[in-house]
Amino acid sequence: MSQISDEDRQALRDGFSRYLEAEADQEKLRAGIASDRGYDNSIWQQMAEMGLLGIAISEDFDGVGGGATDVALVMEEVGRKLVPVPFASTCVVAAEMIARFVPDPIKQDLLQKIAAGQLTVSIGGTGDFVSLSDDGHSLSAELSGDSWVMNGQVSFVSHAGVADYHLLGLKEDGVDSAYLVTASDAVSAERLSTNDPAQRLFTLNFSDAEAIKLEDMDAEGINQVRMRGVAAVAAEQAGATRAIFDITMEYLRTRYQFGRPIGSFQAIKHMAADLLVEVESGTSAALAAAKALDSGSSSAEKFVSLAAFTCKDAFRTVSAQAIQMHGGIAYTEEHIAHLYWRRARAGLSLFGSSDEHREHYLKSREAA
Amino acid sequence: MAILDRSASPEDINSVVEAWLDQHWDSEKRCAKGEDSYDEKAWLTKVFEAGFCVPSWPTEYYGLGLSQKQSGIIEKAFAKRKAQGSARDRFHLGAITVFKVGSEELKRAMLPVMLTGPICCLLYSEPNAGSDLAGVRTKAIPDGDDFIITGQKIWTSNAQEAEYGMLLTRTDWDVPKHRGITFFLFPMKQDGVEVKPINQITGESEFNEVFITEARVPASHIIGNLNEGWTSFQTAIAYERLIMGQGITERRGKSKADSEPQLITLARKYEKYDDPTVRQKIAQALAYRELNGLNMQRAKQEIMTNGSSSLMSLGKLAMSRVQHGEAAIATDLLGNAALLDGDDYPDAVNINFDAAKAYMNSIGGGTDQIQKNIIAERVLNLPKEPDLDRDVAFRDVKSS
Repeated sequence: MSQISDEDRQALRDGFSRYLEAEADQEKLRAGIASDRGYDNSIWQQMAEMGLLGIAISEDFDGVGGGATDVALVMEEVGRKLVPVPFASTCVVAAEMIARFVPDPIKQDLLQKIAAGQLTVSIGGTGDFVSLSDDGHSLSAELSGDSWVMNGQVSFVSHAGVADYHLLGLKEDGVDSAYLVTASDAVSAERLSTNDPAQRLFTLNFSDAEAIKLEDMDAEGINQVRMRGVAAVAAEQAGATRAIFDITMEYLRTRYQFGRPIGSFQAIKHMAADLLVEVESGTSAALAAAKALDSGSSSAEKFVSLAAFTCKDAFRTVSAQAIQMHGGIAYTEEHIAHLYWRRARAGLSLFGSSDEHREHYLKSREAA
Repeated sequence: MAILDRSASPEDINSVVEAWLDQHWDSEKRCAKGEDSYDEKAWLTKVFEAGFCVPSWPTEYYGLGLSQKQSGIIEKAFAKRKAQGSARDRFHLGAITVFKVGSEELKRAMLPVMLTGPICCLLYSEPNAGSDLAGVRTKAIPDGDDFIITGQKIWTSNAQEAEYGMLLTRTDWDVPKHRGITFFLFPMKQDGVEVKPINQITGESEFNEVFITEARVPASHIIGNLNEGWTSFQTAIAYERLIMGQGITERRGKSKADSEPQLITLARKYEKYDDPTVRQKIAQALAYRELNGLNMQRAKQEIMTNGSSSLMSLGKLAMSRVQHGEAAIATDLLGNAALLDGDDYPDAVNINFDAAKAYMNSIGGGTDQIQKNIIAERVLNLPKEPDLDRDVAFRDVKSS
């Protein structure tokens, strides 16, 4: 349940939205993507300042004690501007995993640092909480004396190049385990070349890297973390879908051909009206998932899956049609449309495909 | 007994209405206390005199001056006992339109009659004026204190029962189409009005054709002003859309969430529920329905906070995809069985009926394509397409 009042939530959102409107324009987005870090660190620090990085972290650890709805509002705004910050991985999934499964002095230290913007965590390996699973990893954790050491290789680890910790899932025979590894000389990161330039993926190599094993990982707890990760990504996609849709509508009102705005042609209008249904359905689904999580509803499982495939598919369709509706101008690299389209495609396999979530949605309707 | 006005608490309103219904309505026999059968006119007159027909209207116009919320309590109390006649300020389109845009004389003369009678039928569409409703050709020619009406209307529900219809006519042929229209409250029970049921592709006959031949309507029955009927009509159509939209959310509210969807039942019965392709299709169809429900919930929320919601206009369009899509999946589930008809094949009968009935949503009340134009222009602010008939005298407009 969220500790944030409706008024405060609205103020938080408005403040963040205004800030991004002023500071996260296309030029800065592209500069951030081209930088070593892959995103604009000043935005990350401002998010810390505004309390957003600790939105899902308890007040006991310097967070603000928000719920899934609060996370969704942040993610929608992040999505609108395509800001490629590691929020979902660090501030949602890692923060939830640490809060649940890491014992106290370390937990407190890590969560406080996350909330303060002093620490990011990349996530990889296998397990339901891992957004991009790598079934081909060769990771192994072994006890050496009193402590664990990690060896082997894993790919598809997002933002691992600048992360301070790596959270690694090792699901074996249906049993989850997870380890936290500090970035050190014992870990090397090699960047993968990606279709979406904003998606920073790495292969990590570990050689006797010291690790902290997470404790008492129960299936229900992991599933809660998974659902919160899925809901956060869905909200990000819902926000991005609406943004590229709005950009496209503005173009339709101002681009003239045959002596009239192209938005006056019915062929275009009908596409636009159909896409609006997708945009609004994405928003509604993301919101419903967050609310179900916050209320502890037994339908959370169903609504989270509904949000997952609705938002993935809506973002894919709307961003693809946005290029079509713009015509030639959006076939150029300078135009922003393809960045939305690439992000939509990059999101298709996060936490499983649309088809998998559709199947899961049907199953959870049967179970309800 | 508490007085019903804006200051009345929900509990007071409820107890007054309950007491009134206890005194006057027989829930067992579904008619007025002391009667043996339901006499609609007599019952509606009782409700009307108590102010319960239109509780949100001011007392000088047959209401109680209550808020929408307060009125809702009365509506619920009536609904609980299945008593007719309340909430006519929400559903009696004819009375609402006359109340909103009619002259003082028309309101005084006709509101008591309309509110104690059947709902009005809507005499809008014509064979040559469907999506382009402002192209109506039904003639209204002045004759003394009356107008003489000749023309044909179509897609009219309740035409047999209705005592009055809201009629769109052409009164000036020498100006562009929107400027020569007059809107009448038209008496149906007269010579020169012939009602013929339409046989629909579903096998039903919900709609009628109405042939009007030199029928009469008093000039005092003009709703609004002569040749300004298009403006008055906008009020009527806005309320109609509101009612349809509310219908979508209210019907949803009543549906049982825990009952198994028909598609799943059929898939199990025809042994296709384990087929992953079928499961994908069913999941997506159920999702479309659920998403539309979620969108309409948001619409309701927005209406409560802001008074309006652009989401409302999406419900009907989204419902077309739901209904046509579900019918297509169900047809595929049945396979050959869908080819059959008759009492021995109820699944085929139902599915084939649903497949035809889906057009009711995607054509009725404006086709999906018109609805998309409306969404694009009014919600998304996309520019209107130039109309070829906008500045042309109506008699010179090309028609089929």
